[in-house]
Amino acid sequence: MMEIINSKHWIEWLLIVAKFAFAFVPVLFILLLIPMERRGAGFIQDRQGPNRSYFWLPYFGRIRLFGWVQNACDGLKLFTKEIYAPNGVNKILFALAPAIPFVIVLISPCVIPWFAPMVFTMGDQVVRVSGNTVDSEVGILLLFGLSSLSAYGAVLAGWASKSKYSLLGGLRTSAMTISYEVCLGLSIMGMLLMVGSFRIDDIIAWQEAHVWGIVAQPIAFFCFLISMIAETGRAPFDVAEGEPELVAGFHTEYGAMQFGLFYMGEYSHIGINSILVACLFLGGYSVPFFSQTTIQANMGYSLAVLCGVFILLILTFLHMIYRYSRWYKTSAATNKTVILREYSLYKLLGWVAIPALAIIGVASALFIHPEFTLVDGKAVYGLGIAFGTALIQILVLLVKACFFCFVWIWVRWTLPRFRYDHVMNLGWKVILNIALVNLVITAVVAKLVLGGN
Amino acid sequence: MLALIYFLILGVIAVGGALCVLLSKHPLYGALSLVVTMLSLAGIYGLLGSPFVGVVQVMVYAGAIMMLLTFVIMVLNGARDNRTPRFDKISLFVIPAIILMALMLSFLILRTPLVFNPETARGTVSLTAATLFDTSASGPGYFLLFEAIGLLLLSAMATAVILAKKKLGSPETSDSEEVH
Repeated sequence: MMEIINSKHWIEWLLIVAKFAFAFVPVLFILLLIPMERRGAGFIQDRQGPNRSYFWLPYFGRIRLFGWVQNACDGLKLFTKEIYAPNGVNKILFALAPAIPFVIVLISPCVIPWFAPMVFTMGDQVVRVSGNTVDSEVGILLLFGLSSLSAYGAVLAGWASKSKYSLLGGLRTSAMTISYEVCLGLSIMGMLLMVGSFRIDDIIAWQEAHVWGIVAQPIAFFCFLISMIAETGRAPFDVAEGEPELVAGFHTEYGAMQFGLFYMGEYSHIGINSILVACLFLGGYSVPFFSQTTIQANMGYSLAVLCGVFILLILTFLHMIYRYSRWYKTSAATNKTVILREYSLYKLLGWVAIPALAIIGVASALFIHPEFTLVDGKAVYGLGIAFGTALIQILVLLVKACFFCFVWIWVRWTLPRFRYDHVMNLGWKVILNIALVNLVITAVVAKLVLGGN
Repeated sequence: MLALIYFLILGVIAVGGALCVLLSKHPLYGALSLVVTMLSLAGIYGLLGSPFVGVVQVMVYAGAIMMLLTFVIMVLNGARDNRTPRFDKISLFVIPAIILMALMLSFLILRTPLVFNPETARGTVSLTAATLFDTSASGPGYFLLFEAIGLLLLSAMATAVILAKKKLGSPETSDSEEVH
């Protein structure tokens, strides 16, 4: 046992354990996705969306956080409701089914690289920590395998509920998972063929060296995106829970937190899939136009630019707040004093954050001068620089993923639901064939141009 | 030592799942136990230093094939088979055959010297690829077999599409249900 412990530096063990926290990132995406979905739906349908829930602060009054408080209300409602099972259901499977998608969601992000492998010096030792929790060479295959397992939750729920609607929903889910799993695998194969590895960090490194996947494989990108949306089972592909036909599909009989687990599983699945699309086709954690060595060599300026970006975002936010305030002041709204009081909090926070960020940015540009030691002809920096690089890369990855989260919501509220046979036709007759042809063409071109064997 | 503990846990789960497949009366429970067996087998493959085979096991068997089986059981409404007796006349032949095979296998396993090093990589991606496609190293046998199986599966898929089309007749209704 001791030799296993001694084989790694203590900081490496610490980071390996700390990386398990990344399992919760897709779950945290729920916090982003629920307000995004509800207010985004409102935005697309030209209405407000739920923005009335608030908490109360002493001076500023009702704080609504632009509908963000709705998260807590939704969660509280689901948690406090009674867990209820109808008569005659299969008790064990009925209770087990909602847990399956949620457990899968917790273990599947283990192969996603959140930052480039950290290489740094600690004392006189060079430590290397990979960016993903499980540094396995099967990478993306593990992710696909796990995501195909998560459909068992819906299938078992449909069967255990002893309801015809639920059973039909479960049947449709299993049929759709099988169909779109094939498209998903085939559409990514062209990319894997060019990279020559299943590891997601290898795919990202290839994109850093050449071009982003969306440029190299545009057809595969769209096939992959459509299959991904179909696999999460969201509109326009939500035939498994189509309200006009099946009441609510496989979770008709569920309520309270059992329904909540399905709900959270679905949203976290969106989060994972967004991160995956960002990794495979949008360069993942790689910062556009800057290589990792440039960022590490100029860490101070990189952090200053990061602070500048944050300041810009806060200024945009403040501009929005001031415009709203001006509008409310002249309007005849009865609650305008309450809203203006609430906005004064946002203004205060914004104006405190901007100088603070400016000071941090200027200080980091002035005082951070990374020192490096040469190891095998490459500059290796200390722990702080490695953490800074990792921070920037995680933020870049999350920004790319958030964009795709919006794509999911955008698609959902733009397109009407497809009929079941249309979905199957699209999967088997259109996307599968396009993906196959794309794979063959990619193979031929890769053989001719890149000249591999 | 750690590998042995993992192996024992996974082995017990795998054997228990397989027993449940035999003993469960309802086909859906049988299918679910088979999924559990497949998953723990995948874990054992990973333990043997071949994560690629393990993940393919999860993807193909636990993910796709068992999902298809669950689909079929639910479509055919397997709940009717609830009253099938667990043992009948055929069991008189099946059970001795199983016991005989188990005895032979255990004899073989006990006789083979077990030299096992969990550190060796046996089924990594590059190793599998080299075995299958590097014809200069391992001979053309695997490569030819691989191509033949690929052709067989492709023709099977095309045949399924044609059969489904013929049965349903009209071009508008999809041949979806039968294809997968």
